[in-house]
Amino acid sequence: MPELSFNIDHGYLEGLVRGFKCGVLKQADYLNLVQCETLEDLKLHLQSTDYGNFLANEPSPLTVSVIDDKMREKLVVEFQHLRNHCLEPLATFLDYITYSYMIDNIILLITGTLHQRPINELISKCHPLGSFEQMEAIHIASTPAELYNAVLVDTPLAPYFIDCISEQDLDEMNIEIIRNTLYKAYLEDFYNFCKNLGGATAEVMCEALAFEADRRAFIITINSFGTELSKEDREKLYPRCGNLYPDGLSKLSQAEDYDQVRQVAEYYASYRELFEGAGTNPGDKTLEDKFFEHEVKLMKQSFMHQFQFGVFYSYVKLKEQECRNIIWIGECVAQRHRAKIDSYIPIF
Amino acid sequence: MGSLFRSEEMTLCQLFLQTEASYACVSELGELGIFQFKDLNQNVNAFQKKFVNEVRRCEEMERKLRYIEKEIKKDELKIPDFGENPKAPAPKEMVDLEAQFEKNESELREVNTNAEALKRNFLELTELREVLKKTQTFFSVVNLPNIVGEAQHALVIEESGPAQAVQLGFIAGVIPREKVPPFERMLWFACRGNVFLRYEEIQQPLEDPHTGEAKHKAVFMIFFQGEQLKARVKKICEGFRAALYPCPESTQERQEMLRGVTTRLEDLKMVLNQTEDHRRRVLVGAQKEIRNWIIKVEKIKAIYHTLNMFSFDISHNSLIAEGWCPVQSLEEVRRVLKEGEKLSGSTIPSILHPLKTKEVPPTFFKTSRFTQGFQNIVDAYGVATYQEVNPMPYTIITFPFLFSVMFGDAGHGTLMFLFGLWMVIKEKSLLSQKSNNEIWNTFFGGRYIIMLMGLFSIYTGMIYNDAFSKSFNIFGSAWHSTYTDGDLQGDGETATLVLDPGPFYRNGTPYPFGIDPIWQSAKNKITFLNSFKMKMAVILGISQMVFGVCLSIFNHLHFKMIVCLFCEFLPELIFLLALFGYLIFMVYYKWLVFDVTESGCAPALLIQYINMFMFKYEDASEKTDCDVQATFYENQQTIQTIFVIMAVLSVPVLLLVKPFYLRSLHNAKTHPPKVEKDTSKSVNGKSKPVGEDVKVSYGHALINHGEDEEEFEFSEIFIEQAIHTIEFCLGCISHTASYLRLWALSLAHAQLSEVLWTMVLHIGLSMDMQYLGGLIIFVVWMFWANLTIAVLLVMEGLSAFLHTLRLHWVEFQSKFYSGNGYLFQPFGFKHILDIDSLQEIK
Repeated sequence: MPELSFNIDHGYLEGLVRGFKCGVLKQADYLNLVQCETLEDLKLHLQSTDYGNFLANEPSPLTVSVIDDKMREKLVVEFQHLRNHCLEPLATFLDYITYSYMIDNIILLITGTLHQRPINELISKCHPLGSFEQMEAIHIASTPAELYNAVLVDTPLAPYFIDCISEQDLDEMNIEIIRNTLYKAYLEDFYNFCKNLGGATAEVMCEALAFEADRRAFIITINSFGTELSKEDREKLYPRCGNLYPDGLSKLSQAEDYDQVRQVAEYYASYRELFEGAGTNPGDKTLEDKFFEHEVKLMKQSFMHQFQFGVFYSYVKLKEQECRNIIWIGECVAQRHRAKIDSYIPIF
Repeated sequence: MGSLFRSEEMTLCQLFLQTEASYACVSELGELGIFQFKDLNQNVNAFQKKFVNEVRRCEEMERKLRYIEKEIKKDELKIPDFGENPKAPAPKEMVDLEAQFEKNESELREVNTNAEALKRNFLELTELREVLKKTQTFFSVVNLPNIVGEAQHALVIEESGPAQAVQLGFIAGVIPREKVPPFERMLWFACRGNVFLRYEEIQQPLEDPHTGEAKHKAVFMIFFQGEQLKARVKKICEGFRAALYPCPESTQERQEMLRGVTTRLEDLKMVLNQTEDHRRRVLVGAQKEIRNWIIKVEKIKAIYHTLNMFSFDISHNSLIAEGWCPVQSLEEVRRVLKEGEKLSGSTIPSILHPLKTKEVPPTFFKTSRFTQGFQNIVDAYGVATYQEVNPMPYTIITFPFLFSVMFGDAGHGTLMFLFGLWMVIKEKSLLSQKSNNEIWNTFFGGRYIIMLMGLFSIYTGMIYNDAFSKSFNIFGSAWHSTYTDGDLQGDGETATLVLDPGPFYRNGTPYPFGIDPIWQSAKNKITFLNSFKMKMAVILGISQMVFGVCLSIFNHLHFKMIVCLFCEFLPELIFLLALFGYLIFMVYYKWLVFDVTESGCAPALLIQYINMFMFKYEDASEKTDCDVQATFYENQQTIQTIFVIMAVLSVPVLLLVKPFYLRSLHNAKTHPPKVEKDTSKSVNGKSKPVGEDVKVSYGHALINHGEDEEEFEFSEIFIEQAIHTIEFCLGCISHTASYLRLWALSLAHAQLSEVLWTMVLHIGLSMDMQYLGGLIIFVVWMFWANLTIAVLLVMEGLSAFLHTLRLHWVEFQSKFYSGNGYLFQPFGFKHILDIDSLQEIK
């Protein structure tokens, strides 16, 4: 019966987020954006959408990175507004959404310090949704154990990190492994949290997270070909909350080339479609884009359900996709490279 | 002043403007504010329009102005409003404006960056001074070796024993106060407890040079041992963005440094003051002009936005605009266009010529301050269809009147009237305050309505003889009671007595105006008033509905739908009058014919009326002396039967005639030979009165007027007519009943105010405590007055207002008003003056 009292606690925010969703750019907007000649044109058109005058105070000339920053800022302001007004368990749910950004930020900072970049430059590249106060001191750590003890022990990510402490030192390979281990722990935790919430939230979110988990498993496998990652280690990185678990994952762990991955996907109707449409030839969509498309579809579906938290997750994901789209178009416009300008992923 | 009764006659115009003159012309039109442009480039992307570059330049100017304005506001300078309204500058001047803004902005930015750099310098020096001062106290509490020893003790003792003398290093810096706890924790975790941290807050807040915010900070000192730890501590400091400052170890050096820093700070203060003065000068210069600048830029932008709606004719190097304009103002528009040409020095005149169109023109009423409120009431239901009868002029009277029927109390009416009067008299000064309070603005917008409602309430209050639930006895009651003193002084129960008109009423002149005050003390007051008010409500309601039906005549005549006069208006009127007009007749008949001696045996109205539909009449032979079933008058049966039959017959007329007539008309139109049609088309070249095309869209009548594009769908018309018929016939019954709310609310209001009197003020008045009573009545009066205002005036007033609104929208306007139009929104600069600023944009 949680639906009965859902609106008492979360009705306002759900309404708000559904309202925000209506501001997501439509296909017609993209058609207009694609015709832009300069970034100024892009700005002019974005002004007529829900973005409003978010670029009004930027002096010319405009750059893509300014647009990116401003769009991100807008999303963050909206998200913070939601977060500041919410009650449990929605608060925890929204926090879970930020954890993935925190993971990305940590990895970004570690990689950056590994390459001797100044910390200030790195901080400005971090996603503001995933910032936490110990973040800036991350570069003192030189081993995973140190990272855990000095920096992460106070953050919500601490429990996820326990599995990584055993790694010896921080090099490129290990950073990737840490990232994926963190992600795996995070996804599984989030999955269980949503499952415990029950009701429509569990229904929607488990599907979304299962897809996310499977996508990671596929990508990890494909990216691991030609690296020194062993099959056993690879299997440890697969998040175990997707549709692939357990059979698909064990088969994936045995895969040695792209075709074998493809064969695994054959067993799952929804993934088969994705692999069938994907290709590397010009004109074909990449597998990554296919995954994004599928994600967008899932996210749109979640708005069909009432009384659940999935809409918040979906909104953030859709908005991110929208940012990627606009940035893509913006880059194409800025670099006068219009051949591939159409390969954005329409949302509505 | 345009006609109150219909919206202005509009015409679609085409404007041919020379490219060089177009800007000036549009600017002049904007000042005039009487022309509504149509967007001819709806399908063109925003960034592909012709004047997009100019719009962009305007936006750039806006951005600069916003920056300047923000800086002005930051220094808490006010932007003066002299009420001036500069014209839009010519396009050539735009460059000057741009240059001016550019200069202003860059100057400001330069000053700001300088000031920021200086401030940063100042901040650093202040922080350094604080560090030096605080470390001084750290060290002076116990002299250096001691504190180092203490730290040493804390850090080293467990590991290597006290004997080993280790040189401890330290660094000092400043960190925001709120970051201290995580900083301390992080140091602990990262250095495994091998560092020693002391910190102390800086008392006065320090100003952040970038944002100008005051921030609380703390000075800290960290003692550590060895280079590795030092590197690590420094990294953590960097991570937490703590500012580190060099701090010499010896006391003397520190004191010397402190002296140096203090003198440098003094110097810097001087320089800072000078920069501040310079900044002030720049801002004060901009402050006087900024309002004009904003208005100018907004006007330019509005003009270019409008120009973007025009289509471009390359062959004639001219812009073509289309738009709506009241026919009356055509000359004015032409004059203004000429002025624009003169200004721009163009030799070729602009051409304005009216177009013939099938599009429905927008609805435009010229209103005054007084009529605006009432027009708003009508528009809130639906904007009048072009040129249909406007209910507004009638609403001016009927609205306050029906309100006052429900709100009939002279006392409350006076209060309301005075409130309205105050708003009307103070109109100018209140208007200039530009309040943002929504509730206040609603009341203020309806100030004339409130005033009239108050006035009418005083009138009905006098009729009801009711002021704060008390009556006036001005002329002396026309009743004469036969109660003896003994009756009156009996027990409390007989304090109010039943008034029986038989023995008490002094046959002769009734009370000259309104209700006799004696009813106030009668026990049967409610019975009497109910009967009176109920009948009055029905009479008023039916009159208003008949009036509404009659108004539809003007619509039918204006739209040249003579057929509707006979097949719509007439049956409607017959239906209404035969059934409900007759009811009014009977009410009056009963009032006039039966006097007090026979009233006990008078036939009941309700039963009579029901019997009329049942065709049930008493047999004359069974007639008794006192029979409520008896008829009022002779031949009643015949007359009533005729009326019912007339009403019933008018229904099929209303339902069937119009659709079939339209169909025959349509069939006749489609059949005639082609030749005739062609000639009629060629005649159409000259412009005809616009009204003729418009009737196409009037109401639900889809009549075709010689044009073949409109589909004639018989079933649709038939269904619409059926709906209309059912709505009207059922509506007559339910609407009549609906008018009974006049009685119900009036009763409720009177009772509430009486209750308030007897339960509150009366208690205070009847207290027998000599002088103390004065105090009590003071308190009680406050309660009574507050409740009167809050409940009786505001709440009851609002509810009566709502019911009046409904009576007008549903019961009255449904008889003739279709409200399918759209508002005329001319292009004008007026609203630009109302932009109190652009500060909404971040």
